[in-house]
Amino acid sequence: MTTRDLVLAALFTAIIVALGVVPPVMLGFIPVPITAQSLGVMLAGTVLGAKRGGFAVLLLLVLVAIGLPVLSGGRGGLAVFASPTAGYLVGFLFAAIVTGFLSERFVKRSQSGLMQTSAFFLAALAGGVVVDHALGVIYLGLVTGIGIPKAFIGDLAFIPGDVLKALIAALAARAVIVGYPLLPERGAERA
Amino acid sequence: MKALYVEGGTFLHLMSPRLKLIGLCLSSLALFMIYQPVPLAFAAIASAMLYLSLRIGWRQSWVRMRMLGLTILVVALFTLVFNGWDEAAAVLFRLTALALAAAAVTATTTTGDFIDELTAAAYPLERLGLVRAADLGLAVGLVIRFLPEVLSRYDAIRDAHHARGFKPKPLTIAVPLLILTLKNADEIAAAIDARGIRRQK
Repeated sequence: MTTRDLVLAALFTAIIVALGVVPPVMLGFIPVPITAQSLGVMLAGTVLGAKRGGFAVLLLLVLVAIGLPVLSGGRGGLAVFASPTAGYLVGFLFAAIVTGFLSERFVKRSQSGLMQTSAFFLAALAGGVVVDHALGVIYLGLVTGIGIPKAFIGDLAFIPGDVLKALIAALAARAVIVGYPLLPERGAERA
Repeated sequence: MKALYVEGGTFLHLMSPRLKLIGLCLSSLALFMIYQPVPLAFAAIASAMLYLSLRIGWRQSWVRMRMLGLTILVVALFTLVFNGWDEAAAVLFRLTALALAAAAVTATTTTGDFIDELTAAAYPLERLGLVRAADLGLAVGLVIRFLPEVLSRYDAIRDAHHARGFKPKPLTIAVPLLILTLKNADEIAAAIDARGIRRQK
């Protein structure tokens, strides 16, 4: 990892932490406050790609573990990892990696804006919603003994908000790739 | 940013960080192998006594533990509805014991000690060529250094919205925040390399 990659990841971690500190933003059309930290995780993957985005989220988990109150609501410390919802937190890491991996492969500079936004949306959906919620539900179900199907029922309430965040992450990532492209591009095109 | 460490000279403060972390891992493993509520209740009481012996204070404890306490209560209620009293009590006591023990370790270990332990744990990975152990401390320092700048940039962008009569929206805040922050990366990286902090090339 070059020094630039390290700095980009660390700056992104600072952004994710900041998104947890600022007051939740209300969206105009639904009365649900958006705590933006999981949005930050999806953005890490879509803006920086798998490796640097994953490192940014890993750094966030390190900050939590070493006792800094960096999660939304001032949470932090090892107790967070002992919580029954720790699966979602650790899932952030895999969410960012999967989102980044898919973004690098789906999104091409030559595509139209709509194509890029859709590709980012699918990547954020796969990582930030499918992977993160799957890990969260599995851990919650196993650790509490309520079983995975019942944990999934409790999880459903949080899915619409995260789908919306995936959409915001996709639109933001598309704007960033136009203004300041950082995402590594992979795929057949280079060959 | 203020860490969750609490000054003090208790037994836990003086214990080696590595021993505390290993102890926490082992006790969490043990807690998940016990299923009867009664021994788990004793474990919860022991953890509570450990936590109380640190004298963190009720107000500070409330701020630290309320979200976690709420999560544990919701999960315990959920378990009660679906699986009955026995399992609900076991879940409540197990998670409480775990949360209090972990909070006690966090409150008695400084950020610097944690980074030292992490760096030591990362050395085997460095030998495999996966990461550089020293990068971890550097990266943590960078985050703590630049967080206030990101926050003031956020305030500036929000004020710019208000000045133009726009309502701040997640998207119109996120994009300038990302681009303005990440554009600094080149300069910061150059400054780090100029000082030879990572000792490469």
